[in-house]
Amino acid sequence: MSTAEQNRRLVWKRVTESPAKPTSPSGRSAGGSISSLRSIRVPDQLLGWIIPVSTLVLWELLARAGVLPPNWLPAPTVIARTIYELAVAGDLWRHVGITLGRVALGFLLGAAAGTILGGLTGYASLARKLLDPLLQSLRSVPSIAWVPLFLLWLGIQESSKIALISLGAFFPVYLNLSVAMRHVDPKLLEVGRLYRLTSFQMVRRLILPAALPEYIVGLRSGLGLAWMFVVAAELLGASSGIGFLMVDGQMTGRAAIILASVILFAVFGKATDWMMNAVGRKLLGHRAR
Amino acid sequence: MIKLIWNYENTMPDSSLFRSGTVDVQIAHKAFAGSQGKLLALTNILLTIDPGEFVCIVGGSGCGKTTLLRIIAGLETDYAGVVALDGTPITGPGLDRGVVFQEHRLFSWLTVHDNVAFGLSRLPPAERALKIRHYINLVGLNDFEYEYPHQLSGGMSQRVAIARALVGSPEVLLLDEPFASLDALTRMRMQQEILRIWEAERTTVVLVTHDIEEAVYLADRVVIMSTQPGTIKKILPVGLPRPRDRADREFVRIRKSVHDEFFDPGTIAPMVPNGSRSVS
Repeated sequence: MSTAEQNRRLVWKRVTESPAKPTSPSGRSAGGSISSLRSIRVPDQLLGWIIPVSTLVLWELLARAGVLPPNWLPAPTVIARTIYELAVAGDLWRHVGITLGRVALGFLLGAAAGTILGGLTGYASLARKLLDPLLQSLRSVPSIAWVPLFLLWLGIQESSKIALISLGAFFPVYLNLSVAMRHVDPKLLEVGRLYRLTSFQMVRRLILPAALPEYIVGLRSGLGLAWMFVVAAELLGASSGIGFLMVDGQMTGRAAIILASVILFAVFGKATDWMMNAVGRKLLGHRAR
Repeated sequence: MIKLIWNYENTMPDSSLFRSGTVDVQIAHKAFAGSQGKLLALTNILLTIDPGEFVCIVGGSGCGKTTLLRIIAGLETDYAGVVALDGTPITGPGLDRGVVFQEHRLFSWLTVHDNVAFGLSRLPPAERALKIRHYINLVGLNDFEYEYPHQLSGGMSQRVAIARALVGSPEVLLLDEPFASLDALTRMRMQQEILRIWEAERTTVVLVTHDIEEAVYLADRVVIMSTQPGTIKKILPVGLPRPRDRADREFVRIRKSVHDEFFDPGTIAPMVPNGSRSVS
């Protein structure tokens, strides 16, 4: 909790406990209720909730009043019930499981390739000169543009989806690691030279730890892109997964299913990002703070 | 001006004559590639530093004093001449020399303890732990063993850097303007500290500085360097007992004579373009 926020809470506490006494730091609020209202401060997190919550309430009310057509924008409670029904029927877990599996496999493959190639180009200038121009030019192709080729090569089944997701996860990991390894402070490398570290020790004890924060940033954005591409892959042709649920909802004209899928993507995407962040913080130890 | 022509291969003394920690510097010249051809950083450097001696090298920016230190450290190897430690020519960095830079250059991902341990080669665990403990105590950071560099002040970070440089028991401790980025009070305390550490360890110390008072306060001998080209102008012994009193008449006199060497009208360095100034 920040100090500013603590102050706010203090002010809030004082206002709520003894509104008659002077409450604001300037001491002007001794009299009327208006001036004591002025010093009411709400914590930042709470401020962020005001608009979403009131939007939800308004949405619910409008939907119930029949202002919003239910096949176009169903009420939040209807969406919640849809999710619940899917969960009870067992469909939800099957689709979520399949999507999570695709993201995990695609991300692992892409991140592994990004780590190997990024480490190679970050460490050896020969590898960088050989590989980096090619990879950089491939990066400028929007990844979705590879879909027809993947479909042609790998078919409509899992492989093409995994390939697309891996491709999305690959570039941020590759770029961040490669650049971070190249940009380790030469002054620190000089310390490594002083202690006569071998090339291997130099990488393990100095270059990798120094590059770690940016590598973790790369992993996080790689994971984000893996989620983006799983949506694309599942929208383009799948018989299962959250993306398939979406397409299904669209085909059958059930907006509640589409919106439920959006929420599922958001929840699981956020959850995996949070997990990755936690792992990153653990790895970075004291540097994270 | 020292004008010397010598054949350095024949003048390399027999290594058996030395006690441990002798630095013998014979540099004919050292140049850097600059934008307008080669820039001469050092010429005609002849200097022998005795075992256990505290030598300060003073000079303005661009006089090559840091380059000289980096040559002794083995970080610069492309020069004409020979620099030897205990009679063995220096061809690269080695654990027989500990180096402290102006910036602490600690590893942000390691604790104080692990930063100090970085300077140790393979040792039995018990001995290793003992050594690390000893040097952390020596620099007075017993209570900060498991802190990270970002939790330390500038002076404390520099203490860790000194412990890291000393933990491998080097014969020579090389310090490149180690206190230049500290505030005046911390700097004075660190000067006392480095003397105390030196007296405890009795390694040879070579300290590069642009602070005349610091040099006179610390050194057995002050090596005064001139600019363009960087060379040794004068070597001045400081015979005062320690701890030295900065207000002492003799201290002031020596400080003034070092000062006068710099501002001797015959040797005021011409203004040089920035490119060559980075070679300090």
